This record gives sequence, structure tokens and C-alpha cells, in this order.
Amino acid sequence: MLEVKNLTKIFKIYKNNTDRLKELFFKKSYHKEFVANKDISFDLFQKETLGIIGLNGAGKSTLLKLIVQVLEPTFGKIISHGRVTALLELGTGFNQELSGYENIFLNGTLIGMSSKEIKNKIDSIIDFSELGDYIKEPILTYSSGMKMRLAFSIALFSEPKILIVDEALSVGDAHFQQKCTKALRKRKDKDMSIIYVSHDLNSLKLLCDRVMLLHKGEVVDIGEPERVINRYNFLISKINEKEQKPVLKRSENSYGNFDAEIKKVELRGDESKSNIISSGENTKIFVKIYSYKDVDNVTVGIAIRDKFAQEIFGTNTYYHHKKVDLKRDESYVCIFETKMNIGVGKYTITAALHTNENHIDNCFHWIDNALEFEIAGTVGEAFIGLCRLEPKISFEKVSKDDK
Amino acid sequence: MLKNLALAFSFAKRDFKERYVGMSFGELWYLISPLIMIFIYTVIFSNFMKMKLNITDSEYAYSIYLVPGLLAWTSFSTLLNRVALIFMEKAELLKKINVPAYSFMFSILITEFVLFLISMTLGIGFLVLIDYHIDFTFLYLLPVMILQSFFAFALGVVFALFVPFFRDLKEVIPIFLQLWFWVTPIVYLKDMIYDKYPYIVDLNPAYIFIRIYQDIFLYAKTPDFTKLFTALLFTGAVLLTAAYLYKKMVPLIKDII
Repeated sequence: MLEVKNLTKIFKIYKNNTDRLKELFFKKSYHKEFVANKDISFDLFQKETLGIIGLNGAGKSTLLKLIVQVLEPTFGKIISHGRVTALLELGTGFNQELSGYENIFLNGTLIGMSSKEIKNKIDSIIDFSELGDYIKEPILTYSSGMKMRLAFSIALFSEPKILIVDEALSVGDAHFQQKCTKALRKRKDKDMSIIYVSHDLNSLKLLCDRVMLLHKGEVVDIGEPERVINRYNFLISKINEKEQKPVLKRSENSYGNFDAEIKKVELRGDESKSNIISSGENTKIFVKIYSYKDVDNVTVGIAIRDKFAQEIFGTNTYYHHKKVDLKRDESYVCIFETKMNIGVGKYTITAALHTNENHIDNCFHWIDNALEFEIAGTVGEAFIGLCRLEPKISFEKVSKDDK
Repeated sequence: MLKNLALAFSFAKRDFKERYVGMSFGELWYLISPLIMIFIYTVIFSNFMKMKLNITDSEYAYSIYLVPGLLAWTSFSTLLNRVALIFMEKAELLKKINVPAYSFMFSILITEFVLFLISMTLGIGFLVLIDYHIDFTFLYLLPVMILQSFFAFALGVVFALFVPFFRDLKEVIPIFLQLWFWVTPIVYLKDMIYDKYPYIVDLNPAYIFIRIYQDIFLYAKTPDFTKLFTALLFTGAVLLTAAYLYKKMVPLIKDII
């Protein structure tokens, strides 16, 4: 559907705009160069959803702008077969004072529909947007969710061959989001291709057939979502390492008598090699300890909290009857290895170092939110909720006698 | 290209609606302001300053002289100014949607021309009202108006291309237009400055158009064809320049708006 060949976009940086003009009309060069996209090639196939990920400044927006041809490439070319519609920042091109109805015509024309086409589809558009009688009111009375619904409906019914979705679906309530996802699937099964840009790794894994990873303007990897996202995670964790908080001890969410100290808490998925992992992935949590005194019968504990700060799981060496003795001026690492059988979302880890079962008697060191990690995507069967039970499901016919 | 021009027409249609929504008098505003200007100039120049035209004996002579020039200038300056600011006004859209800037430019040309037609028709209505002489030479108004609109359009495009580079132009253009208005014999008579500054009159391209309207309104005079031809030539020249610059500069402009 879309062929991108050796696409390069170089922004020229000038001291001022006069230099920019001078260069246009005279031969002399006045600029420095900034390469936003470097030699990008890929194909987008029919009925395919291609995800694009990358850190901020990796060149995602520039690439999208090149694809919708708002910017012109410096080298290379883009061949698209069919209408490309972008859902970039929904609602650009709405006139605040015109009614929703008028705006359907305005916006529709802008994204390339003929007025005849709009007339034919206007009822379906209004219907899908669920705006009802509000359609006659001026846009300025709309909530942001209503605007988004209208814009999405227009984009959907313009029946693009290629739809570009840029984090836009995060507006709107759950009901409409589901409706959108369903409608997109249906259109996709017919003939549409989607380019999906998001930082929401879970939805990328769910929606995309392939994912492309951009880094510093270049394609680092393109292919199977799981693999590419892991590579992205690896990139992130490398950057995080560089700016790792050096001392946990004196941070505000830590306390204790510091006879022994938790130096560092780390989490790493076996597959992803980073702290963004799939549900069900085998994961190791490392708690690195340094002791200032000789102490026996120490307990090392961790607790996992969800985004509402609710403890969803906690354990320690005491429960597991693991004997931990610390010697003066020695370093230790305590490893908790488990299958991360929890639902998608963001979590934090709290770590603690104390004696006996809990930290009330003698607490050496306690750190809240020592580490953040994220569950994105699922290994094996999908599920909903926080807790991954592993049911065996059987299904059989009941003979009449048993009734 | 054709598709994008068709787009310009539908934008023009929207433009009419957009500009006057939420106003109770709607399109009337476009006509009210020149009418008030005509009224003011008539009162000041003809009543207080006792400016009389010796050529006709109508008591409305000054108004008949003033109306076509002022209407034409209003159209000329609005068209030029609006086209010149297009990259600023539509920046948000041009950054996000693949619609060529010239579609928006042409849509302004269309709207402003239609408004020009309406206001000229009302001008002629004024002549009918005071029972002044009208004949077939008035048909010459139409091609001259078309030519004038293209001229203003082309100049506007040239300015528009430089505005993103020198944002100050946004402020400069209205001042420039104001000055141009006062060096053009619209509210005063050509003879009042011609002896002293003949070049101001002779080298003023806008005056070629305005002179023709004034002659038609006052004397029903057939336009001078050499003048018309000159106007056609420089309009063509500016249009070509505008097209050349447009092609060359638009990719750059997309990077900086």
C-alpha cells in the first residue's frame, strides 16, 4: 500500500531566516544540518497494522509528516496507493463557531472528500459519533471527547486506504474507545492499513502486526512486535542506567537505622532484558545490599504495588525460611526469581531490610518505590484483571442420564 | 492541480459561511464599512473642503468619482493582505494536513472577487438611484476587475512567500498599503498632484485600473487599450514571478512554519 524508499529528511539550521533566503537564491552555503530521518525504507502492506516506536526525538513525527506529505523529503521517495488520512491531533481544521454539521463538510473537504461523498456519508458519520442533536450546536460548546468522536468518525468514513493514528485514541471514554477499535478492525479486515504510533507498549503488542523501532532517525529494527519492543526496552534501560539515581539511602521515601543498606534494586525480564516485561515472563528482581555491621537472621523483603499504591504481592526471606547473615563491610545480592503473573500496567517495588517477620522491631532500611516497572503484553493466553490464575478449562457434553 | 482548484471553490464557499457566522448582520458588514467611508469622504471633501469637479454638473459629481475608486481599492487591499498572511493564518492546518497552500490562496481570490462584484453592482445601483447616465461601456468593468483581482492576488502571493521569513512584513504590509492608497488619486483628483509628481501617477500600477473605473463611472468612457494591454502584461509578469517563487520557496516554508 505504501512504499517508503531511502527516505532522508535533513533540516537545515540557520542562524537566522535571512541566511535561509540567501542560500535559496545564491550559491553559498550558510547552514548546519540536522538529520531527522536517515535512509528509511519499509513497505506497508494491505490490511497490515504497523506500529512505530522510538524515544522522544527519534524522528517519528517527522516520518509521519513525510508520509502525509506535509513535509518534503530531502532524498528518497514515498509511493502511496490510495488516500492517506491522519488522525494526528484530532480536530485540527474545526471551526469553533460553525455547527458540528458544517464542520463535517469543512473537515471532510480538508482531508480530501468530495462534497457528494460527504453528503452520502453524513448520516453514518453523525450516527457513529453519537452526537445526536448536538450536531447542530457550534463546536465551541463541545467537550474534548465530543470533538474527538466527531473527528474520528469523519476520518473513519473518509475510508482511507492508510490511516495514521498518533496516540489519538487515548481521548474519549472506554465505551467509545472500544467502538473505535472495533470499527478500525472491521475496516482493516476489508482493505485498510494502519500506521500506529504510541508509547503504550501493551496496545502496540495487541494491535500491531509488525513494529518498527526508530532511533536517532534510523530504522533499528522492524518485524515481530514482541522482539522489536524488547529491543526498545533495552534501549530505554540503557538510557536509564546512565542516569541511575546513585544513592537510595537519603531519598525521602526511605528510612531505617542503616546498619545495613539497600544499595540498589533492579528488575530484569529474561526475554526483554529490561524492566518492561510481558505478563508471565520469567523475571528476576535483584536487591543489592551492603552491610556496615555483623548482623544475623536478617530478612530481605519486597512488595509490588500497582498504580493505586495497593500492595498486590509481597514476600520475604523469612517466609521462605532462607537464612540471611550479613558480615561487616561486605556486599550481597538477594535475587527473587518468579514468573510475573500479573496484569498489564505500571507497578512499583518497595524493598525492605529488617529482622524477623516484619520491619516493626528492627528496621535497617526500607525504601518505598525503589523501582518502577511495566507489564506490557502477555505470554500465552490473554486475560483480564490484575491476577493471573491458571485455570484448566474443559468442555464436554453432559449425557441426558445425569440430568 | 484541477482537484486542488476545485478544493479552492469549496473553501471559498466555506469561507463565506465561516466569516459571518455568529454575526447578526452577516455579509452586510463587508458593505457597511466602504459605505461609511464613502459617506465620510463625501462629507469631508465635497462639503467642508468644497471640492468640486468642474467636468460634470451633477451635484453628486464627487461621490460618483469616489465610489468606484474606493470600492476597487477596498477589494485590492483586502485581497492582497489576506493572501499575504495565508501561511500565518493557516499554519496549523498546513502543518498537519496535506492541502497545498495555493488552494487557500485561490479560495481567497474567489471570495474577494465575488464580494468585489457585489460591491461594484451596488456602486452602479447608486448611479441608477441618482438617475445618472449608464450604457454598455460599463461592461468593460468586468474584465478590468478580473485583471485587477489577479494582479492583487499575484502581489499577495509574492508577499506571502516572504512573510514566514520576515515576520515583520505582517505589520509592514498594511502600512505599505495605506501609503499606496494615499499616493493613488482616489479621494483627490489626479490633476492636483500630476504637475508636481507626474511619476507617482504614471508609475502606479493600481492607478491604471482605478482610472478606468473612474472614467467609466463619470463619463462612460471606453478604456484605453494600450493601458489595458500594459495592465495585462505586468499582471502576467507578476503572476509568473509569483508562480516561480512559489515553486522554489514552498518546500522551505513547510519546514519553518
